[in-house]
Amino acid sequence: MIRIEQLNFAVGQFALSDVELHVRPGEYFVLLGPTGSGKTLLLECICGLNRIDSGRIFIDDIDVTRLEPRNRRLGYVPQDYALFPHKTVRGNIGFGLRLRELSKNNWVAGGRAEGDAPATPGHRFALPRPPNTIHHDKSQRIDELMEMVGVTHLADRTPQRLSGGEQQRVALARALAVEPRVLLLDEPVSALDEQTREELCRGLKRLQQNTHATVVHVCHNFAEMLSVADRVGIIDRGRIIQVGAPSEIINRPVNTQVARFTQAGNLIPAGAGPGGDRLRLVCPGGIELPAEKISVPSCLGKTIAAVTAMVRPEHIRLAVDAPKDVPPGTTILSGTISSVTDFGPTVKLGVVCGELELFVSLGKREYNERSVGVRDHVHLAIASEDVHVMMS
Amino acid sequence: MFTEPRSTTPVVGLHGRLFAASMLAFVGLFVVGLAALVIADVAYVVTDVGPANLGDFAAVLFSAEIRAALWLSIWTSTVTVIIGLIFAVPMGYALSRYRFPGRAVVDSIVDLPIILPPLVVGLSLLVFFQTDAGRWIEAAGLKFVFQTKGIILCQLLVSASFGIRAVKLTFDGIDPRIEQVAMTLGCTHPGAFFRVALPMARRGIIVGGILIWTRALGIFGPLMVFVGAVRMRTEVLPTTIYLEQSIGRIEVALAVAILMLLLAAAALVTIRMVGLGER
Repeated sequence: MIRIEQLNFAVGQFALSDVELHVRPGEYFVLLGPTGSGKTLLLECICGLNRIDSGRIFIDDIDVTRLEPRNRRLGYVPQDYALFPHKTVRGNIGFGLRLRELSKNNWVAGGRAEGDAPATPGHRFALPRPPNTIHHDKSQRIDELMEMVGVTHLADRTPQRLSGGEQQRVALARALAVEPRVLLLDEPVSALDEQTREELCRGLKRLQQNTHATVVHVCHNFAEMLSVADRVGIIDRGRIIQVGAPSEIINRPVNTQVARFTQAGNLIPAGAGPGGDRLRLVCPGGIELPAEKISVPSCLGKTIAAVTAMVRPEHIRLAVDAPKDVPPGTTILSGTISSVTDFGPTVKLGVVCGELELFVSLGKREYNERSVGVRDHVHLAIASEDVHVMMS
Repeated sequence: MFTEPRSTTPVVGLHGRLFAASMLAFVGLFVVGLAALVIADVAYVVTDVGPANLGDFAAVLFSAEIRAALWLSIWTSTVTVIIGLIFAVPMGYALSRYRFPGRAVVDSIVDLPIILPPLVVGLSLLVFFQTDAGRWIEAAGLKFVFQTKGIILCQLLVSASFGIRAVKLTFDGIDPRIEQVAMTLGCTHPGAFFRVALPMARRGIIVGGILIWTRALGIFGPLMVFVGAVRMRTEVLPTTIYLEQSIGRIEVALAVAILMLLLAAAALVTIRMVGLGER
């Protein structure tokens, strides 16, 4: 759907460098990165709002690199929504529709004629509608869009009189009105309170699932990404560092940067060396951890190398009594609880094992069943398949 | 949900009250000073004319000369506003949106007429129309020196900068992102300007127009040099004030001044209402 090849774009001291990205038709793709990583800039490049220095951008296999924004047929929702303050909700949503009526030819970019049925899922955002009503009138279409995002009762209000969540929904409807091939959302919910954020994320995901549309959603919030993404691309300092399904990013980050971003919790510097059919990791204080060979770059496993081992807090099992049957490839560490932080549904425990402090995440019920607290002595079980190794 | 914004005041003690009072005292001093001037003018006119001579005074005040001057002032200032805004809107937009080499210099040049004594503009114009280029323009049929068209030229050069500045500030306050979104929705760049930026800048443009109008209405120095003070021909209200006081009719000069004051005050109140959105 969107294919970016070798994109380079510099502005001042900052540059997007050699960006390669492929967003598949009908997927909800999240571009995740810290503030200032270049994600908004990349989105603007896709929209045609920044003329790129080199590289190519394809949408639906059509090279749009040199096309004006209006001919790319994208739905763009910027971070601050940028609603037209001099127009009502209805006027905002109808803005693109009116332009389409004025110049239909502008919308035939790439030789695809107006009114063509979507060839594949994810081709464009079209509202479900009965056959033979393709050419229904503009105000009916605005009504449909307002109903879809739930702003019908606000039709005659100006944007200044809308809450953040309402503005977001109007901006979304305005972008959808032109039946874009891809919907580009720049931090669509970051300015909203947590409850509204969750609610709107669910709404966005539902909308995408119902329409089988392609969405690129930019955000810096890990939880927000998890709530919507089919696939995710991690961007940092103008480079895409990793692309994959959320589970892949979480469990197999390519480097410590990605691991930190996915709230890996336990990142342990270690020396790696061969250890039979597994890899042997020696952590600070001489603590040894096993790791699957498959989880490390192929250059390892032969010589000793400095690596970082990642064990996610939710993968560590905690027991009060020493476990009796230890499966092969599992390490048991004993330690003392140093901290307990209650996050509501989960509880995070800090456990000091010699020179290491490991974090363990437990479900609330699980935690209550263990009935442990600070300074209690506990045992931690870490399986080799849960230890992920990255080059330091 | 959205709530109407309201002004808030923090809890303040004696220091805070004294501070506010001293700040407001300066406002009061300045306003009282200006009001005293106006009151003195009105009082002078009233006492000097006296009830017995009111008829004669009115006859002078509404004489053909002064009516002609009033009308000339109004229509030249209005034409200046139209021409001024034709320049101010594209210039304000360009200076706000585009980055080009020497932009800071251009920006300063645009502001020059605000700082320059208006008399210099008249003198410069007179000198310019003595040059080959100037003579060529006059030979082509566009005569400015000692002509009504010259009034408009003087007014434009002296007052356009105020309009350009006001319009630029308005465009500065409009997020370019809004135009960009319009472009993704099917607008060309000019389309986004006419359909989004221009309607959003409406208030600023009106304010700019009124600033040009009030400034144009009040200029005098450059007119004396460039178009002269010919009764019924190049006489605008400020010229009338000068001519009347030069023949000793101070009360008529002051009455015209009060008329100008009322016109300017009406314009400034309109700016406040339009610019600040007060109803």
